[in-house]
Amino acid sequence: MTNNKWRRLLAIVLCAAAVLLLVTGIIELPRRTGRAGQDVLDDARIQALLSVTGESVVESYVAIAKKEAQERVRAGGGSMNDIREAVEKAEQETREKYTGESTDLSQIDTASLRAATNAYMNALDEYGSLETAARAQYIEEHYAEAQAALEEKHRAMLEAGQEIPENDAVVVDMSGFVPTPEMLAAEAAADNAYLAVGDAISLIYPVLDKDSVMTLKDSVRGMLYQSDDDFSSQFDRYVEQGRAKRTFSAYLLRHADDLIYTAIALLVAAALLLYSEWLISKLGIPRVIIGLFFIILCFMTLLYDLSLPTLLSNTVVRMGMNAVMVLAIVPGIQCGISLNLGLPIGLVAGLLGGLMTIEFGIPGWGGFLFAILVGVVIAAVCGYLYAQLLNRLKGEEMSVTTYVGFSVVSLMCIAWLVLPFTSLKLRWPLGTGLRNTIGLDSGNFRHILNDWGAFNIGSFYVPTGLLLFMALCCFLVWLFSRSKTGVAMQAVGNNPRFAEAAGLNVNKMRVIGTMLSTVLGAVGILVYSQSYGFMQLYTAPRQMGFIAASAILIGGASTSRCKISHVLIGTFLFQGVLTLGMPVANVLVPGSTISETLRILISNGIILYALTKSGGASRA
Amino acid sequence: MATEYVLEMQNITKQYGENTVLSDVSMAVKPGEIHALLGENGAGKSTLMNILFGMPVIHNTGGFEGKVLLDGDDANILSPYDAMIKGIGMVHQEFMLLPGFTITENIKLNREITKPNFFSRILGKNLETLNMKSMSADARKALDSVGMNIDEFTRVQGLPVGYMQFVEIAREIDKTGVKLLVFDEPTAVLTESEATQLISVMKQIAESGIAVIFITHRLDEVMAASDSITILRDGRLAATRRTSETNIVELAELMIGRKGESVIDLEKRSVPHDTVALHIKDLNVDMPGEHVVGLTLDVYEGEILGIGGLAGQGKLGIPNGVMGLYDSEGEVELFGQPLKIGDTDAALRAGIAMVSEDRKGVGLLLDQSIEDNIVFNAMQIHGEYLHKLGPFTLKNSSDIRGIAEQMITDLDIRCFGPTQYAGTLSGGNQQKVCIARALCMSPKFLFVSEPTRGIDIGAKKLVLETLVKLNRDNGMTIVIVSSELQELRSISDRIAIVSEGRLVDILPPEAPDADFGLAMSGIKPQDHNEKGAAGHDE
Repeated sequence: MTNNKWRRLLAIVLCAAAVLLLVTGIIELPRRTGRAGQDVLDDARIQALLSVTGESVVESYVAIAKKEAQERVRAGGGSMNDIREAVEKAEQETREKYTGESTDLSQIDTASLRAATNAYMNALDEYGSLETAARAQYIEEHYAEAQAALEEKHRAMLEAGQEIPENDAVVVDMSGFVPTPEMLAAEAAADNAYLAVGDAISLIYPVLDKDSVMTLKDSVRGMLYQSDDDFSSQFDRYVEQGRAKRTFSAYLLRHADDLIYTAIALLVAAALLLYSEWLISKLGIPRVIIGLFFIILCFMTLLYDLSLPTLLSNTVVRMGMNAVMVLAIVPGIQCGISLNLGLPIGLVAGLLGGLMTIEFGIPGWGGFLFAILVGVVIAAVCGYLYAQLLNRLKGEEMSVTTYVGFSVVSLMCIAWLVLPFTSLKLRWPLGTGLRNTIGLDSGNFRHILNDWGAFNIGSFYVPTGLLLFMALCCFLVWLFSRSKTGVAMQAVGNNPRFAEAAGLNVNKMRVIGTMLSTVLGAVGILVYSQSYGFMQLYTAPRQMGFIAASAILIGGASTSRCKISHVLIGTFLFQGVLTLGMPVANVLVPGSTISETLRILISNGIILYALTKSGGASRA
Repeated sequence: MATEYVLEMQNITKQYGENTVLSDVSMAVKPGEIHALLGENGAGKSTLMNILFGMPVIHNTGGFEGKVLLDGDDANILSPYDAMIKGIGMVHQEFMLLPGFTITENIKLNREITKPNFFSRILGKNLETLNMKSMSADARKALDSVGMNIDEFTRVQGLPVGYMQFVEIAREIDKTGVKLLVFDEPTAVLTESEATQLISVMKQIAESGIAVIFITHRLDEVMAASDSITILRDGRLAATRRTSETNIVELAELMIGRKGESVIDLEKRSVPHDTVALHIKDLNVDMPGEHVVGLTLDVYEGEILGIGGLAGQGKLGIPNGVMGLYDSEGEVELFGQPLKIGDTDAALRAGIAMVSEDRKGVGLLLDQSIEDNIVFNAMQIHGEYLHKLGPFTLKNSSDIRGIAEQMITDLDIRCFGPTQYAGTLSGGNQQKVCIARALCMSPKFLFVSEPTRGIDIGAKKLVLETLVKLNRDNGMTIVIVSSELQELRSISDRIAIVSEGRLVDILPPEAPDADFGLAMSGIKPQDHNEKGAAGHDE
C-alpha cells in the first residue's frame, strides 16, 4: 500500500516537472523564428565572427611585433642570436597580450557589422538554395549513368577476383558539375556583400587590412553558413567558434525542443509508473523492458539530434526484411516442435534458390519468383526429412533443432565450396567455391520488393512492396491457422494426447508444421537478401534462427503459444532496438561495437527467459 | 517391555488443508503377526503408512495428530531414514531397485560393508573399499531366507518381475534389527504361484518374530495369510478383526459400506436388453497401470452401463482401448458393424464418443477457447463448422459461436462467454465442455470415464443428471466408468465390476454391498455364495 502511495507521489512529481518543462518548451520554441531567436543568433554570430577574425588579428599583431623587434635589434647591431631571441620574446609577449582577451560586444559598436553580416547571410542563403537545386538536378540527370558505371566497376572487380564492398552505394561523380549563370550571379552578389562585412571588420580591428580580410573569406563563410542549417546547428556552431559565455535565455531557446522531448518522456515515465503492474501483467516483464528501452532510445535520438524519422524508417525496413523469417517460427510453435532453431535448413534452401537465379541470370521479378520457387521446393523436401527426425526425437526438440541448425550450416560450408556454380558473380575467380557475400544488383532482385511502389513522407521512406509482401505472408499464415488442417495442427502442438483422442495423426501434423516453417524460412531469407542487397553464405545463417526466435518471444509468444501479432510486435521492437541502438551507442561510446553486443545479449537472453517460462503452467 | 505390541498407532488424524483424510484411526500390531490393512482406494491406507514412515509429505503439510508407539515408547519418526534406523522396513509396490547393479549391491545399497584402505585412512571413511565377500555372504543369507536360489551376483536388470519383488524383500530382511515390515500390495504384479510363494515367505518372516503389515485388496489372500485385520473406510477405522473370527463376506461389506445417500434419485425401470449396441470380445488393452486382459462385455442399446472396480484394475482401459488411445487387441462390434480396433479416427467416425478421465491431459485444449474445444472433434471428424474460401477450408466462426452458445445454455456451463479459455474454467465446467464436445459429434454411443473426478458435489449432480437426460430423452447408450460405486449405483442400469483386467461380474445396482466388495477383490459373489453354501452343507 505504501509502495503504491510512493509510486503515485513520484508520478505526480514527474508530471509536475513535465508540465513545467513542456510549458517552457512550448513558449520558447516559437520564439526561435521570431525576434528573440533572430537576436540570439545575431549575437552568437557576431561573437563567432569577431572571434574567428580576432585570431588573425592576433597573428597580425604578432607579425608586426616580430618585425619591429627584428629591426630594433638589427639597428642596435646585435648578432643573429640576439635577433632570434628578441623575435621570440616579442612573439611571446604579443601573443600573451592579445590572446584570451574575449571581445566584449557591449564595448564595441557592432551595428554596421551586424547589418553587413545579415546582408551577407541573405546573399549566401540565396546562393545556397540555387546551388542545392542545381546539384539535385545534376544528380538526377546523371544517376542512371552513375549506376551503370558502378555496376560496370563491380563487374570488373568480380572478374579481378575482388570482393564487392557491402556499403558501395551509387555516387554521382560531381566533377562534371558546372555552376549555372544564376549561381555565378548570386555568388558575385555574395562576394560583394562580403566586402561590406570586411569593411565593417576593418573598422573594429584596424590592424586587418583588405588582403587579410580577403584571406579570411572562406573560413568566415564556412562558419556563417552551411546548407541545411537550422537554428540548433547554427547556434551550436557559433557557440563552438565563439568561445563566448552562453546566456541562459539563449540556452533555453536552443534547447526548447529538448525540453519538450524531456517533458513527454517524463509524462511517459509517469504513466508507466502508474500502470506498471497492469502493464507487466498484460505484457510480461521482458516486453515491458524492451518496450521501455525502445522508447528511451527514441528520446535519446531526439536529444542527440539524430534523425528519428530516418531511423524509424530504417526500423520499418528491417522489420519488413526480417518479418517473414520470424513468421517461420510460428508454424513450428503451433505444431509443437517449440522454437524451430533449425531454421537454417530453410534459409539455406532459400539461398540455393537465390544462387540459381543468379547462375541462370534470370532478371527482375521472374528471377525473384524463380528463387522463391526453387527455395520452397528444396525447403519442403528438407523440411520433410527434418520433421521425420523430430518425430523420432519427441520431447527433445529444443536441443535437436539447435544442433540441426548448427550442423546444417557447417555442412553447407562444405557444400558452398564444392557446388558446381559457374557464374563469376558467385565464384571466386581463382580456386573453387562460392564467395562469402554475393552482391545483388539491378540485374537480379536487389530491392525488388523494397522499391516496388516505395515513396517518401519527409525523410520517412516507406518500402511499400516489402510491407505488402510481409502482410501477405502474415495473412496466409493466419488463414492457414484458421483452416481445418491449421486447427488440427495447433491442437497437436497444444496437447498431443488431446489430438490423438480426436483421431488425428500427430506425426503428420508435426510434419506439416515443420515443413511450413522451413518453407517460410526459405522465403524469409530471400526477402531479407533482396532488401539487404547481398546474399550471405557460409556461417551467416547460423545466428538467424536465434534472432528470429528471440524476436517472436519479445513479441509475447511462449514456446507453446504464438500469434501473428507477436511476430509483428516482436520484429518491430527487436529491430527497432537494434536500429536505434547503434547510432545512440556510437554517440555514447564512440567507435564501439556495443550495439552488436547488445543484439547478442538481447536475443540470447530472451530465449533463456522464454525457456524458464515454458516449463510452467500452460495457461497464459 | 511394557507392551505386547511392536507398533501401536493411536487416534491418528491427518488433514490436508480442509480435507480430512484420516480421522481417529488406531491400529496395533504384535510381533510375529501378519496384520492385514484393508481398504478401497482413498480409504487412507497410504496416508497411514506415510505417517508411519515419517514421509516429508506429512511433515510439510502440518504433521498429524495422534501417537505412534514402537515397543510401547513414543517414536517420533522424522524421516524415512529415521524409520529405517528404528527397524521399520517397506517392500515397495514399485520396485526401488537399481537395474544396472547386481542383487548383492542392491541388497546392501547404502549399507555396504567396507574395509579401510590407504586412501580412506587419509581422506575418510567414504573412500573405503567394499568388502564384496562378506556382502555377498549377507545377501546369500537373505536370499535363502526368502527361498530364492538365484546367484547373488546376477544383475537386477532383466530379472522376472516376481524375482525383483523377492530381492526387495531380501533387502529389507537383511537390515539388522528390522522388527516391522510393510508389504504394499506385494502380490499385485505376481503370478499366482509367485503370490503363494510370497505368502509363505511372509509367514516365515513372521515366524522369525518380525511383525508384518500386509496391504492388499485381495480378500482371499487376506484370509489365507493374515492373523488380524484392520479395515479402513473413508479415512475412518471401519473395524479390527481377528482373521479366525471373520469371513470374506463380512470383510467385503466392511470395506465397501454405504457411503451416504445416492447422488440423484431415479425412477426404477426395466433394463433394456433388446439390441446389443456394443459387443466387446477378448479385449486386451496395454494401458499403463490399467491393463485389460481378455475382457468380454455386451452393452445393450439404450442402457446406462456402469463399470466399476478398484484403481489400477483395468476399468479405465476399456473405454481407452475401444477408442484406440492405447495399444489394444480384440474384437469390437458397434450395432453389429465390426470396428477396427486401435483406430481412434474409425471409432469416432462410427459414432462413438468419449469423455476422457484425464480432463486436463487428454480432454481439453486448455489454451484455447471454449468454443474451439466444443467443435473440435465435429470439425475434424465430420468436417462440420467449416466453410470454403477459395483453396482454403476455414473455420465458420458464426456457426461455431452458435453451437457453443447453445451448449453453454443447455449444459449450464458457467463462463464469461464462448471465447473464455478452457483452462480457466472450474473442474465441473471443464467436464461439461468435454461432454459438449462429445455431444457435438451427435454420437450413438457415449463412453464417459470418471466424469465426476475432482469436481464439487453440485457440479457432480449436474453432470450425472445431464447423462441421465441424454439417455432418457435421446436414447443414447452410455457406458460410465467410475471409481465411485455410489455414483454408478445411482444412475446405472447394470454395473460391471472389473478386477485385474477381467470382468468379474455384472451386478444390478441394488445388489448388496458385500457382493460389490467381493467382486472388486476379484471374487464372483455368486461363486462364493455357492461355495459357502456348499461348505455349510458338508
